[in-house]
Order: sequence, then structure tokens, then C-alpha cells
Amino acid sequence: MTKAIFYKEWLKLRWYFLLAFIVSNGMVAYCMLRIDRAIELKGAAHIWEVMVLKNVTFIDLLQYVPLITGIIAALVQFIPEMQRKCLKLTLHLPCSQQKMTVAMLATGVTVLFGCYLANLLIAVSYLPGVLPYELTRNILSAAAPWYLSGFAGYLFTAWICLEPTWKRRILNAAVAAITLRVYFLGVVPQSYNDFLPYLLVYTILLTTLSFISIRRFKAGRQD
Amino acid sequence: MNTILECKHLTHYYGKRKIYEDLSFEVPQGRILGLLGKNGTGKTTTINILSGYLEPREGECLIFGENIRTMPSHMRRRIGLLLEGHVQYHFMNIVQIEKFYSSFYPGQWKKEAYYELMNKLKVAPGQIIARMSNGQRSQVALGLILAQDPDLLVLDDFSLGLDPGYRRLFSDYLRDYAQAENKTVFLTSHIIQDMERLIDDCIIMDYGRILTQKPVKELLSSLYQYTCQVPEGYEPQLPDSFYHPSVIRGTLETCSFLPPAEAEEALKKHGVPYRSLSFGHVNLEDAFIGLTGKY
Amino acid sequence: MNQFSKILLLFTIAILLVWQLPWCYAFLTTKAGPNRFVMYSSLLDDFIVTEYDKDKGSIRRDLAGNQYTTEQTDSLLPAFFMRQLVADERFPDSIMGVPVSPKEIQMTSFNFRTRPSAINTPQTGIYFLLESMPSRVDLDMPDDAFRFNRKGIEFVNMETNTVNEEKSRKFTQMLSDKGFRFPPKEVSGNPTTMKEYDNGYLLIDADGNLFHMKQTRGLPYVKALPVPVGIKPAHVFITEFRDRKMLGLLTDTNHRLYAIMADGSIALTGVPGYNPEQDEITIFGNMFDWTVRIASPENIVYYGIKASDFSLLKQYEIPSENTEIPGLSFTSPYDQYVRPRI
Repeated sequence: MTKAIFYKEWLKLRWYFLLAFIVSNGMVAYCMLRIDRAIELKGAAHIWEVMVLKNVTFIDLLQYVPLITGIIAALVQFIPEMQRKCLKLTLHLPCSQQKMTVAMLATGVTVLFGCYLANLLIAVSYLPGVLPYELTRNILSAAAPWYLSGFAGYLFTAWICLEPTWKRRILNAAVAAITLRVYFLGVVPQSYNDFLPYLLVYTILLTTLSFISIRRFKAGRQD
Repeated sequence: MNTILECKHLTHYYGKRKIYEDLSFEVPQGRILGLLGKNGTGKTTTINILSGYLEPREGECLIFGENIRTMPSHMRRRIGLLLEGHVQYHFMNIVQIEKFYSSFYPGQWKKEAYYELMNKLKVAPGQIIARMSNGQRSQVALGLILAQDPDLLVLDDFSLGLDPGYRRLFSDYLRDYAQAENKTVFLTSHIIQDMERLIDDCIIMDYGRILTQKPVKELLSSLYQYTCQVPEGYEPQLPDSFYHPSVIRGTLETCSFLPPAEAEEALKKHGVPYRSLSFGHVNLEDAFIGLTGKY
Repeated sequence: MNQFSKILLLFTIAILLVWQLPWCYAFLTTKAGPNRFVMYSSLLDDFIVTEYDKDKGSIRRDLAGNQYTTEQTDSLLPAFFMRQLVADERFPDSIMGVPVSPKEIQMTSFNFRTRPSAINTPQTGIYFLLESMPSRVDLDMPDDAFRFNRKGIEFVNMETNTVNEEKSRKFTQMLSDKGFRFPPKEVSGNPTTMKEYDNGYLLIDADGNLFHMKQTRGLPYVKALPVPVGIKPAHVFITEFRDRKMLGLLTDTNHRLYAIMADGSIALTGVPGYNPEQDEITIFGNMFDWTVRIASPENIVYYGIKASDFSLLKQYEIPSENTEIPGLSFTSPYDQYVRPRI
């Protein structure tokens, strides 16, 4: 039964996954190409220097890419559920509603994870060739909270979409927007090193927010 | 006979607006029950409560003896749900949606019933539901419910958006199915004509209360429509046993469960200045309008 | 699970409130602090405080309350306002009885500033070692970078991203020979070509001992800098001031400040307390005196220090301008980490 849920979610997500996969990997590839061009034009030494002395990472373009892919993934997945209350059909299926909610979210998270993993693979297949591992680590550590924000953005958006009333949706969106700022406070690479594990746990816990919306949906809340 | 569906003392408000108070009814097994009411009398509220998507302020709704809000998930197999407007996953095509649903109903899924219906639809194999006409969608939704083979069907306004042909097709299929398999159906519709061919029993709701709950045959045979002439400018003042009297150009129209003899007596006793009283039986739509009024 | 999700939401909202409300309050109410500039004058043996007042303009006074004009202030701080005095042809032949020229003043004056956030920051661990005796006049950035590991120092050619084994071996050998234990606790250098000369790096090794390392004609130069008994080096700063009298500054675990002289000797300064992890330090130095400003979270203290022996001449304390409202924040002016803190 969980497999069927995955199947349904995948039907919704597959074209978007292809798009997100192409766009995000394209952007990562572009960032790598930018580093490559910069090394060619200005020399590796100059690139190392600005990366060490000025904390440049060359991936500033990617900052909001995971967040946006995460938010859109949730919209793609949950707007069809909320259109004309289609979610009623899902919740009426003879399967634990909690399990189904988790399965729906797990599909989205897996799709995002697939995208992000490909992004990571592109980066680690190029960077260690031209940069010392310290600078590769700097780049990846700068990107880590941004990628985490992708999952958080996804889970927050799911929570907002599944909420039955507009008033609460707006409140939820405000909470989500301010909370998401926490993922974008770093000014130098590795800023989040100590905090990241806690932020990861918090992000995972955000899965449970959707249960609030589902419960309100089932109670037919109108305020 | 077993009671399949039972609503006990339902009370619901939207904010401070009362929908109804202390509403109770039962649906026995094997019956097709239609919930009739004008807009705003709480039909959708009732459907929402008994499909588990609205928590009533008070009271409870039992299906197969279990409270719908706390019922174990496997029991939902026995309940078929048709949403208003035949809503289905519009991003799926007919093959995908069958594949999806079938895995939730192992052992009871009747694939043939679904495809029998689908084969009559002129849809391309890959065509998604979003690109189908309302009529085609209703057939998909119906096919899925028939394949699920539930013991209780809950249908919210099945006629919405359907042209007469599809409405007829839908009700005929449903009637066949319910009669052949002793299934129970609870439905609402805003088109009363269709209901007459379909339902066994009806509940007619007025604002905040149930006007009557009866088998349709009994309702139609016990309800009389009375017509008589009254003087120009007469303001109808009839006993409570006459529903919604109206006077148009000297002709008074009303309906009542009183048989003709008693009705005439009641009119006389009340001093109604009537002439040439006639009476007759009406169809369900007229009965509904007679009982609930035009406004 | 339902209960948990509610708690999580309430927790999140509570966190956002204690984070954003104080921030909003501060954003709406914070006014610019007084604009104050303080310098120690050896001629006056007092601090001269220049304050900007909206109505009266700049007011210059000493701690005794005497007010000075702009010109008087220039003359009382001849090293600091040297260029103004030269332009006005008012530069004296001698100061405090010592004959001086503008050139000498220029050579011996310096300023030094470092913030806690420069210490409390994630380290990349990649450094650049310049040639300290370049064949040409100008300094050049090297074509290799170096890192430390447990076993030694490793030079990496940047174009090829490969380790220069030969150079790495030579430097590791030299450092080990001088008693250096890898990996270092602190590495201080100033890899830029925008300076007069290069003095390489000051290092605190794994045992807490102080070393000076530079590159001369491609070869390692390493010198152990013995610290007096009882001093545990905490932080070290290479200075590379023009007059080449000093190698750098050092603090110990008791927050005392030392000057590391060019010959490697270590001299205690009269600054009683400086914790680089918390305090911001600014030094304006000249051949007669240093004005040391130490801004800690609690207060700002100015010290007048005698340049010849680093003894404390005078100090002036004012409360901190810092008007932080208690609340939760994720970033801090004192470090570059992101983590929740009260």
C-alpha cells in the first residue's frame, strides 16, 4: 500500500523531478565551470587566494536553489491534493493516515535527495581535482545549510498546503519564512559546522508539522 | 435488518450559525437513502460528518457500529466515497488510477467491473482525468467505486455537472449494483428527478431539522397536493398540517399528509373560503417543493 | 505524534519570538553611540578626547577638563597629526627633547587592530608563505600554499594541486629540528603583497611553544622563541610594522599582552587584560607612546603605553556602548559561527 502511495506521488513529481534535476545540476555544473574558467583566466593561485583570504566559494548562485526546488516540489505534490479537496480520497484509503502522510512526504524528500545527491556528485567529481580538500570542504560546508533548507522548505510548504484554511496558511507561511532565515545566516564557510547536526534533527522533526494540518483537515476546520 | 449507518444527536454550527441541532437518523442495510434539502440546510455538512471530514460539535456518526472518526483504517475498505463533482486524482489516467486503487483493496477489487465501464468511454489510453469531460470523469469515479465493491456507498451530489444521459447512466448503474448485491447507499443530489428512479428512502431536511424520513413510495402515496379557488386578495391562513400554501391569481396550492376527507374538514374548520377543491398525488420533485417551499 | 507536532510548532514559535522581538526592538530604538576618539598624548601625559556634538561640533578636551582647539590638538599629538603639521609647516624639530623628522615619525608609527570575530572563526587551514627575501623589490604571492597536519607541513603547488614533497620535507625537517610539535595550535601570518616586507608566520605548536617561521630564498627559516617560565601562549599576532622592531604581539592564558621583539625576546606590556576571544583591540603606536583601546563587552578602556618599555602610563575607562537587549540570536559580533545563543 505504501508502494501505491509512492506511485501516486511519483506520478505527480516525475516531470518536476526531471526539471529540477536538470536545472539544479545545470546550475551546479555552471558554478564548477565558472571556477574552471576563473582558474584558466586568472590562474589557480589567484583562485586559491581569494577562496582562503576572502572566503569566496564561487557557489553563491546556488544559495536559494535547493530552497526553491524544495518549495516547488511540495507545491507540485500537495496542490493537486488540495484542489477540490482531493485529499479526502487519500485519507479515505484503508491505510493508516499517519503512514500515508509519512509516505507522501518521504516520496518528496527522496526526490529532493536524488536531486541534491546528483548536485553533490557533480561538485565532488570536479573540485578535488583543482582544489585542496580544505577548500572543497569550505564549498560543501557553505552549501550544507542551503541544501538543508531545501528539505525544510519542502516540509514547511507541505504543512502550509495541507492546512485547510487560508488564515492559518498565512500564519504558517510567516512562521516558515522566519524559520527559514536561520538556514541563511552564515557569512563564512563552515559557520554552521557545530550547529548543523541540531539543525538537521530539527529539519527532520518538521515532518510532523503536516500532521497538524491533516488533523485540522479531518476536523473540517474553517477558522 | 441491520443498521449500517447511524447518526446520533448531531449538532453543528459554523461559527455562531446553527446548521442543525440534535439530528438523528439511521440507514438500514440494503437501502438507498437520499438526503434532500435546499441549499444551506446542511446536506454537505452531513455528508462531511459521516465521511469523517468534519467533527460535529456534538453527537456521533456510526458506520458498521464504529464511530467514523476513530474507526480502524481497514474498515474504510467497506465504505465507498464519491466526492462532490466526481473528484478523482486528475493527474492520473484510467490505467494508472486503477493500478493505484487496486493495491488498497486486495481480495475485493473487481477490476473487470471497472474496465467494463471504462471500455464504454471514448478516452485515449494515456488521457489523464483532468482532460476528460465531466461525464467521463463521473464514469471513472463510478467505475472505481464499483470495483472497490464497498458495502456502503456515500455519494455527495452525484448529479453535479452531468448531462441527463450521464445522470441516467449513473443512477441506473448504481441502482442495479445496490439491488443485486444488497448494498447500502447514502446520497445527496440537487436534482430531485433523478432521485425518484433511484432511492428507496428519503430524508427531507429543512433549516435546522428533518421534515420527514420515509420510504419514497410511502411519501408519494401519503402526500396529497390540494388546489382550490379562493377570493381575490386572500392571505392564506391554514393549519400547520398544510405545507407552504401559496396563492397565485386566486388559486391556492398546498400539500399535506392529511387524506382528502380530513383535509377538507380541516379547511372548513379553519374557515378557509375555498371553492372547487381538487387533490392529487405528485412526483418527488413536487413533493419536495411542496414540503420545503419555493423560497 | 499529534501532541509532539503541536509542541514542535509552539517551540518554533517561541524561538522565533525570543529571536525576532528583541531584534525588532533594537532595530527600532537603537541610536548611534557617541562619536568619540581618544588618543594618549605624551606631551600632555593625558588622554585627549575628541567628541562630536550635534550642536557644538567637535570638542577636544583632556581628562582634566581643559579644552583644546584643532591646532592645539595637532601639536599635542604630533605623531598622529604629522602630515597636518608638516602641511602647516608647524612640525617641530624635536619632540619630548628628541630630535625627529617626519620620515622617522612615519617609519615608527603604526596601527594595529583585531576583533574577536577574527579569532573565533572557522579556519580553512590553508596558508600562503611569501618569500621574505625576494630578488626583486616588490613582494610576490607564492605559487604554492601550505597546510599543517599531524606529521608535518605540506606545500601544495596550486597550478597542479599536487604536494611539493621536496619543499614539504625540508620545512618539516627544519621545524622538527627546532623542536616544533605538529600540528600547531595557532598560525598567524599576513599573506599579502601590500606591505613593506614579509616576516612569515608566528606559530604556537601543539605543546604551546612559540615559533617564528619564514621562507628565505626558498629555504626554511625557523626560530624557537622561548617564552619566560610560567607564560602559556594563547594567541599570537604577526605585526610586520615598518620599523621592524617587533615580530608580533602575544597573549597568554591569563590575558596578558606581550610584545615579541625582533630578536625573539618577549616583553610584558602594561596592558592589564586583553582577551582576544572577547575584546577588540586597537593600537595607535608611535616612537613615544601607544594608545591601546580595548573594547570588551563590559567597557572600553584606553591605555597610554610608553613605547620604549611598554609600561602603563595612564588609563581611561568608559562604559561599553554596547546596548544589547537580552534575547536569542544565531549570530554574534564576537564570532563568525551560526548557533543559537542567549
